[in-house]
Amino acid sequence: MSSLASSRPIRYLPRIVLAATVAFALLYVLVISSPPPVEGGSNWRTTNFGSAIDDPGSFVRVLLDSITFAGALFIVASGFALIFGLMRVVNMAHGAFYLLGGYIAYEIQQTMTGQGFSLSGTEVNTWEWLIPLAVAAPCIAIVGLAVQQSFLRWNQGQELRQALITIAISVIVADQIIAHFPRTTSGAQRFGGNAVDLAWPGWTERFVDFHFSGVTYSLARLVMLAIGVAVGVGLWLWLYRTKTGMVIRAGVDDQTMTSALGINIQKTFAIAFVIGSALAALGAVVWTSQSNIASGQDGQWLLNSLVVVIVGGMGSIFGAAAGAVLYAFVLNFSASYLPTTGSNCCTQYSPIFTFVLIALVLSFRPQGLFGRGG
Amino acid sequence: MNPAAWTRRQQLERAIAFGALVLVVVWPAVGSSYWAHTILVQTFFYGIAASSLIFLSAYGGMVSLAQTALFGIAGVIIGNLATKGGPGGVSKGLHLGWDPTLALVVAILMTTAIGLLFGLVAARSAGIYFLMITLTFSVIATYALGQVTNISGFSGIGGINEYTPGWIGDILEHPNRLYYLALGVAVAVYALIRYVIRTPFGLTLQGVRDDPIRMSSLGYSVPLHRTLAFGFAAFLASLAGILYVWWSGQIAPGNVDLPETINLLAMAVIGGLVRIEGAWVGAFAFIIIQNYVRDFHVPGLSFGGTLFGGSFNTIIGIIFLVIVLVSPDGLMGLWGRIFDSRRGSRWRRTPTQRGPSAPGRGGETTAA
Amino acid sequence: MRRLNLRSWKTGVILAAAVAGLTVAATTSFAASTKPVRVAIMTDCKGGFGFGYELDIGGAQAAFAQYAKGKAKNKAKPSAGMTGINVNGTPIQIVGYGCGNDTVPLAVTETKRLMEKLKADVMIGPLSGDEAVYVANYAKSHPTKTFIIGTAGSQDPTLQLAGKNLFRYHGDGAQWNAGIGEIAYKKLGWRKAAIIMDDYSFGWTSGAGMIADFCGIGGQITKRIFPPLNTTDYAPFVRQLPPPNQIDGYFSAVGGTGTAAMLKAYEQAYGKLDPKKFVGNLFFAFLGADKVVAPKVVGAYVGGFGTAGGLKTKQAAAYRAMVLKTYPKLPTDDGFVYNYYNAGWALVQGLQKSGGQLGAKLNAALPRSIRPGFQVSNGGVLHLDANRQAIQDQYPLQIVKNKDGSIGAAVVGFVPNVGQDFGGLFKKSSPPPGRTQPPCKKVKTPWQGKIKVVKNGVITNQVIK
Repeated sequence: MSSLASSRPIRYLPRIVLAATVAFALLYVLVISSPPPVEGGSNWRTTNFGSAIDDPGSFVRVLLDSITFAGALFIVASGFALIFGLMRVVNMAHGAFYLLGGYIAYEIQQTMTGQGFSLSGTEVNTWEWLIPLAVAAPCIAIVGLAVQQSFLRWNQGQELRQALITIAISVIVADQIIAHFPRTTSGAQRFGGNAVDLAWPGWTERFVDFHFSGVTYSLARLVMLAIGVAVGVGLWLWLYRTKTGMVIRAGVDDQTMTSALGINIQKTFAIAFVIGSALAALGAVVWTSQSNIASGQDGQWLLNSLVVVIVGGMGSIFGAAAGAVLYAFVLNFSASYLPTTGSNCCTQYSPIFTFVLIALVLSFRPQGLFGRGG
Repeated sequence: MNPAAWTRRQQLERAIAFGALVLVVVWPAVGSSYWAHTILVQTFFYGIAASSLIFLSAYGGMVSLAQTALFGIAGVIIGNLATKGGPGGVSKGLHLGWDPTLALVVAILMTTAIGLLFGLVAARSAGIYFLMITLTFSVIATYALGQVTNISGFSGIGGINEYTPGWIGDILEHPNRLYYLALGVAVAVYALIRYVIRTPFGLTLQGVRDDPIRMSSLGYSVPLHRTLAFGFAAFLASLAGILYVWWSGQIAPGNVDLPETINLLAMAVIGGLVRIEGAWVGAFAFIIIQNYVRDFHVPGLSFGGTLFGGSFNTIIGIIFLVIVLVSPDGLMGLWGRIFDSRRGSRWRRTPTQRGPSAPGRGGETTAA
Repeated sequence: MRRLNLRSWKTGVILAAAVAGLTVAATTSFAASTKPVRVAIMTDCKGGFGFGYELDIGGAQAAFAQYAKGKAKNKAKPSAGMTGINVNGTPIQIVGYGCGNDTVPLAVTETKRLMEKLKADVMIGPLSGDEAVYVANYAKSHPTKTFIIGTAGSQDPTLQLAGKNLFRYHGDGAQWNAGIGEIAYKKLGWRKAAIIMDDYSFGWTSGAGMIADFCGIGGQITKRIFPPLNTTDYAPFVRQLPPPNQIDGYFSAVGGTGTAAMLKAYEQAYGKLDPKKFVGNLFFAFLGADKVVAPKVVGAYVGGFGTAGGLKTKQAAAYRAMVLKTYPKLPTDDGFVYNYYNAGWALVQGLQKSGGQLGAKLNAALPRSIRPGFQVSNGGVLHLDANRQAIQDQYPLQIVKNKDGSIGAAVVGFVPNVGQDFGGLFKKSSPPPGRTQPPCKKVKTPWQGKIKVVKNGVITNQVIK
């Protein structure tokens, strides 16, 4: 299907260019770039920290930032990938489920920790973090199930129609969240979808010493990575070692055949949607503890999930993991290692850079890195 | 165009269309000025933008979310070229102060070129992947307009409607000129699309929509046709974008962000993704809802808002949902079903459902 | 389904014409009585500033109630409306409330709806900076209407665009931060600082105020970081800041939903936050309800909003009493209420002077000085400059823990007569605040060395040293 000339050497030209660009970028980060000169001024090699050789500590910190952010991305995107991969449903309401999960968890944590005016991490013990999660995830799972059974069950196969239905639901849910959350704040901050946040349990407010070039790293972010890895391992075990998982994988490969073999494919769809929505809520609890939640972030996280799944390829957990890692790495490394020629350039352009890169990945491999077929 | 040969439905449709056209032509003289210069003008140019989306979906089999981005890009280009003042200063932008007619032509050409470039990148994707990659373009456009402050910046470029070409004149003094210009361009765009789909290119495009593998085995280049279709749609979107900036005077990243993209998709879906007429029907319906539902309160269920405490977005979401559930082909699909229910056959121009990449596949026989 | 059975297309045309006639009749608005002055209040009901809706409307309507005999329909809900507003025989009719969401497209449709569909003569608003740039452009092309800005903080509308029918009775985003840089230099002993600001116009304008003050007295801004709006993860941007042992302090103009996210990311990168090393803009004060982050910044100095919560002057007390008479639950010291109140009061004064006439006569009659609640200089009088922009007293704040444990902001400084131009630094011909504007130059601000200490709501005679 390539519109390029079929003569052999030229056919490889785009791939050669791509490989060269990637190699250059890696070398730039690792070796070529240099820290800002003491006396001021800059050239194309100047970056914030210099290369990995100049400042290995910063390099390791950015690396850890990337991989921990990838953990959070993976949690949210894996739910999306599961639904997308099995049911071919682009659940555009995934962001709205994320937002609702975050706010519900916030309400629970506020209720549990009393109505005082401050909530430092040391006041929050592990239960006060787990129970909001244990309430929010099933709530969102039920909402997801209701949506799937009412609106998506009977028009299986009509991808565009289902995408439009979920868009409508996301608009309604997002608007209702603005009207009803947050509830346990006071005064002008009540309702309106204002920004609120969760607190991690107190024991995560420490730094872990890596004994390498003076690098100490936040334990909370490592916990986030651990949760992401746990979700990945859990999903892998479920999909590859249990019967339900086998059915799901079969459904991803060939829905018609699976159902023709007498397997209740509808029940499998429902389970997948429930798990996918619960993962959105888990991701919301994790990231709200890390940062905050506010109306408007549903669009952000839907976009993040879409990007991860499109880049990694739909239908597989490895794809979601690979997409999350690539997206997080490009975003974080470009924000830290793009050249800085002064205040006007360039690290603030990291989102543009990231998305242009994604468009290019998709132009070379439309089905994503680990996707199968178009 | 032999009236005697028209079917009953075509007669009715054409009569209504004729009546509506006469009505909008005389409206500035007889009707409310707010309707003319806000609601109807917006219907004309948002309808053009929606028609570019529907053209791609109905005749190209591609649902594109990048039309809003192209709409905004055209506005930004003409804003940078036509306004005066030097960089920075009064508002952001390059303010090159070119002759407005030249700026107009360059803006259209550049947007079409950008559309062709997007198309080149997206042409090998299909179906949901195409939707996603066009969404990526939309996001790139939002960030680019927001952060590249030389060309726009977050408050955008203002005062663009002071620099209209001489042959249009001052539209702030004479808003009817913009009204008739928008009406004229909308009619011309409609005629142009109807013409293009009958050309060999248009027919091949519909073939590519229906069965890309067969077309490619017949020797037609599928990516080329998709790219060209995308470029044509970009051309249409650029016309809409330029009319928008002449109407509002300002273009900003908020005009191309995700909610605006979804609004344009909603207009197209409400009208119906299968017929070009749906573009203007959907745009009109959407603008009416947006204007009048704000003050609408569901008695007994408002809870301090319009519905369950929410704002008019809840109502729009519900209307959108109902339309997609009941009639995936939108209002035009409902209209078509009034005529075909007896015969039990679908209106013929619905794209045939083959392959996973065609939109709106299946399910129509069970709908009420 | 019934089958439509028409004989010819002529019937269709007649049908269409009949429908059309009815539509025309229904939509043509009845000629409005020319006597009442039609006023629209433009605010936000969605987006980042959606909570300002009732506050803004309440503020403006409280002024109408106090000075123009208005009667609130619902003392607990300002948006329920107000009747009976009358200025010396000229009735005022509030025709509508605009509902923006801090973006330009909605500002466009709302402005047109209020000014063209509802045919308002005067607009009080809008709320946010980007919307105000659009309204300022709109004002220039509609010179017969009057526009009094609500609380928007963008610089362009009055410095660059400056239409003759556009008025702003409060400071812009840069003015709000006057004095805070000097406080950082003198009280916190900062000499070298970094600044992190949202990469868009309000962030740059707010940051410009901090930079102008700090550099004006001799401080050095060594690094400027710009996280884009809608950043999910602030970690890479926070990492670009110098660590706390290499810099004296950080200025922050990150706002909206990003403030808490940025501060949390900072703590995860550099450890516990030292409030003495952070100076924020008004968004730090908005953190009050955030139980996780607000306690961390107790003790930090922050830029103001043109208001002086808890100020104990007669003028301030009178202002508070007047607002509470109409709306007993409205937070009087909130900037949204205060700025819209002053806008409404100015309109009443203008109509009194012009005898109810509108257009150019009203624009000429609108007061060039008013007596807002928190103004102390010039005997409590605030003057507008040549661009109809307020020269306003500013009050730097400090985040404190109130007696009941809640976190709030207390006034700690008084900066007299802050003008938009910062003593010549910002001119119409100068580039607008941006990533490199203003540069860090030692240009003395007019109030340098004149900032007075405020203790417990009382302005002392002590100057901040």
